[in-house]
Amino acid sequence: MSTIFEHYNYAIIIILMMTGLYVVFASGNMIKKLVGLSVFQTSVFLLYISMGKITGGQPPILTKADMEAGAKAAASHASDISHGAAGVSEHALQSASETIYSNPLPHVLILTAIVVGVATLAIGLALVVRTREAYGTIEEAEIDQLDYQRNQEGEGA
Amino acid sequence: MNPHLILRVVAKFLIPFIALFAFYVQFHGDFGPGGGFQAGVIFAAAIILYALIFGIDAAKRVIPPSWVRIGMTLGVLLYGGTGVATWFLGGEFLNYTMFAPESHHAAGQHWGIFTVELGVLCTVASAMLAIFYAFASRLPDLSDEDW
Repeated sequence: MSTIFEHYNYAIIIILMMTGLYVVFASGNMIKKLVGLSVFQTSVFLLYISMGKITGGQPPILTKADMEAGAKAAASHASDISHGAAGVSEHALQSASETIYSNPLPHVLILTAIVVGVATLAIGLALVVRTREAYGTIEEAEIDQLDYQRNQEGEGA
Repeated sequence: MNPHLILRVVAKFLIPFIALFAFYVQFHGDFGPGGGFQAGVIFAAAIILYALIFGIDAAKRVIPPSWVRIGMTLGVLLYGGTGVATWFLGGEFLNYTMFAPESHHAAGQHWGIFTVELGVLCTVASAMLAIFYAFASRLPDLSDEDW
């Protein structure tokens, strides 16, 4: 039970994701569908961002001290070659893990995903605007009905 | 008497603070949460609020669509130009340290991130406004009777 509360971020993500999915399925209004899609998208962003967070992690920027530590590790790496491969890798690992960095990769991925999300949302809204200009409504049921009527008339003519 | 008097007064009061908050988020991006993306959206939100309250034509007088088009490309140019500038200073592409190689406080990093974020602010705010102008200009403004 405690693991559920420790990982409450995943519970929030799942609730958001299912909310978005339900809105996409259940609403006939196209704008509401797009809102649901955005909520779903946000849950995926949160999933990645919360995975990238490391407790006590520093921004992943190399400072002079890190570079010196890295140079030292490389030097000891070279001198330890005679002691065997296993000892060398262990030593290198120890000196490399002195500072904890947050993982920047999920953040960069999601930064891109947010921008792509805005672009796709804009395209979706553009399609809704065009649909409204063509049909005079953005309710899917009414559009289906108009399509049905138009087909019936086409067959009759 | 204008039917939207309260909206207009409150919006006039809020818009400068929204814009100011955008710049706070922008300049805070160096040290913590914030940066050009968020600041750009907040700044665009200030202009969009102005457009919603006072009409799209008034907003287009504040920031003409041609500025928006220039702003979008100018931001990308600023971002890429920062990378090319570090190239000419003898470093790799976007190696900010080249702006102040002697500094022990990573001043070059600060300058690099500052200019890059300025480019991001420019592009994001302009892109948001471009999307808004594109949607809002299609249909005529609601007249006061339609509210």
